[in-house]
Amino acid sequence: MRNTMKVAKWEVKRNLKNKSFVIGLFLTPILMVVFGFLGNLMGGDTSDNETAKIYVHDELNTFANLEATVEQYKLPFELERTNIQEADVEKKLKNAENTAYFFIDNRAFNEGTLPFYTSEDFPESISSQVQIFTEAVKLVQMQNLGLTEDQLAAVSTPITIQALSVDELGENSEKEQAMDQEQLMQRIVPGVFAGVILLSIIFTGMMIFQSASQEKKDKIAEIILSSVTPGELMQGKIVGYFVLGFVQVAVFIAFGIPFILWAMNDLPLFEYLFVPELLLFLLIAVLGYLLFAAIFVGIGATMSDISTAGNFQGLVIMIPFVSFFFIGPVASDPTSILAQVLSYVPFTSPVILLFRLVMLDQWSWVEISVSLAILIMSVWLFMKLAGKIFKVGILLYGKNATPGEIWKWMRA
Amino acid sequence: MDVLLSVEGLEKSFKDKKVLHNISFDVRKGEIMAILGPNGAGKSTTIRNIMGIMYPDEGKITFHGYNEIPRNKIGYLPEERGLYKNVKVIDILLYLADLKDYPQKKAKERALTYLKKFDLEGKEHVKMEELSKGMAQKVQFISSILHEPELLILDEPFSGLDPLSQELLKEEIRNLARNGAAILLSSHQMNVVEEMCDRLFMIQQGQKVIYGTLDDVKMKYANFKCTIRGKNDLEKIEQIPDVQRIESKEDSTVLYLHKDITPAKWLKKLPDDMVINELVMDRISLHEIFIDVATNKNLLLANEQMGEGDEHA
Repeated sequence: MRNTMKVAKWEVKRNLKNKSFVIGLFLTPILMVVFGFLGNLMGGDTSDNETAKIYVHDELNTFANLEATVEQYKLPFELERTNIQEADVEKKLKNAENTAYFFIDNRAFNEGTLPFYTSEDFPESISSQVQIFTEAVKLVQMQNLGLTEDQLAAVSTPITIQALSVDELGENSEKEQAMDQEQLMQRIVPGVFAGVILLSIIFTGMMIFQSASQEKKDKIAEIILSSVTPGELMQGKIVGYFVLGFVQVAVFIAFGIPFILWAMNDLPLFEYLFVPELLLFLLIAVLGYLLFAAIFVGIGATMSDISTAGNFQGLVIMIPFVSFFFIGPVASDPTSILAQVLSYVPFTSPVILLFRLVMLDQWSWVEISVSLAILIMSVWLFMKLAGKIFKVGILLYGKNATPGEIWKWMRA
Repeated sequence: MDVLLSVEGLEKSFKDKKVLHNISFDVRKGEIMAILGPNGAGKSTTIRNIMGIMYPDEGKITFHGYNEIPRNKIGYLPEERGLYKNVKVIDILLYLADLKDYPQKKAKERALTYLKKFDLEGKEHVKMEELSKGMAQKVQFISSILHEPELLILDEPFSGLDPLSQELLKEEIRNLARNGAAILLSSHQMNVVEEMCDRLFMIQQGQKVIYGTLDDVKMKYANFKCTIRGKNDLEKIEQIPDVQRIESKEDSTVLYLHKDITPAKWLKKLPDDMVINELVMDRISLHEIFIDVATNKNLLLANEQMGEGDEHA
């Protein structure tokens, strides 16, 4: 164990003293923040968020109603009366931006349509929101028909169909909906956090592979192994790169949290973050790391250079990333059979399980337990196998191991 | 001299091929023991088994005074050279000493002393990749002796070094032996072995060929040979007594002589009419024995055994 820690300490120290590692350490979060920042700036520039100017030529005296509607639904319109003639509109709009002319007259009753002239760049989304004005015009029509107040009220109350699924019954009060929202955040924030950790340590885990094959290439393995056992060397690497993964996470946090707080406007991040769910998410992330680290260290020991990797090794390196192919289907239905099966497959379960737990309101603890149990057993098994491959592979100089040889070592 | 390491009946197979057959030898404190053999003979495999990097199929490796392999008391310079590339010299020396549980402060002092000794003063903060091959090799040698090992295993320590560095290294190795370290040295350079080693173990195709002190080996295998330059009839040469084997090339002939001849007496038996432009009388060198073994001719040894047979007859 002491030797394991020595090796781990060395790997951490060696990498932290290495310029390219340090640059990579800071570059990734900086790039992410920079792109996030740029995205925000550009996002703020889209015309959807701007208010549109609508000139109303009102012959039916509904302007007050229109203004009330805008107020009630908080529509992004600015209304103004105008006496312009329809014939002049075209000329006016040619040079205008975000402007529309709305003619309200008897055509509403005679033809059932009202002309709404817009400038070229007038946002599509606003054009559709304008439909809401029909209510105000309809009101005028009904008043003209001489209906009583009660009749008016009855006719003008719109009927909407509200979709309620079984799990939402009994919790549809507004307060509960807010709590629902909060619960979602309580899962998303720790989930995203655990995801960042998982990704960071997987990427750092890729470096284990580098480290093992480099050691083989530089032929230093034999010297190290004259002092420590192969098992200690392998464990030392796994622990060392685990620590490096957390260093990466720490840097992410140092850059990410101020940025999120700035971008999300006082999101109570820490309240959402430090919830019991976080522990489960972290457990999944750590198990995922251990599984992939075992695979990387074992495979790394079978070849001296990634560029000489055979098809077999190349495929194995891809294993941790297989999960990402399934993110789409799982996102569209987190309770599907596919999603459940992927949570039981050790190679995909860390990412998929984490993702599903964030998506789902109701957790099936049976499913989670089975999934974790499979994962823990796989970690144990793969560590054993990696140890066997590592022991032989790291000393096999000059050639890459064939799948047949690897199979033989595993059975030894 | 006390025996530090005993290897008894070592057997090892890779796949279906047996690479070590019943290898047995001792290494004693204060001696330099050579392990010789052509490439692929099984030297490195033997060493790896001693180091516990591989495990033998059969046989026993005993470190006297220890229950298991005393990794911290062994220094090892493998044949395959290499150290981490992008780290500083001093960092790697201290790391390797730390793995041997050697105190860091002492390790640093010794590291600086040795760097100075090997003409690497001021290089301690230079990265390994910036050193020349020879320099890196010297650093690697330092790393193998920094922790004051009781047993030092050197696999081809001189390859790639200039003569000056070779001398420095030889001197240091002799020093360590004088101070009581047991040294197991593998080398192809027979002159070095003849010069430095007390005993030797020669291995070919995983089998012991020769084992003994340098003097014994020389006495036993290094018979006299006589090289004559001058054109002579082969028939005439074949009549010269006490000759085991004749090698004739153009106008030069090498006569390999029986073990128990007296050179002065034998010289008198040469025919009077023999053409001799030049005559050299010397012993068969270790180098020749090695070549003989390595090329699988086994002429010297076969003849030797034959010679022994003759004696008994």
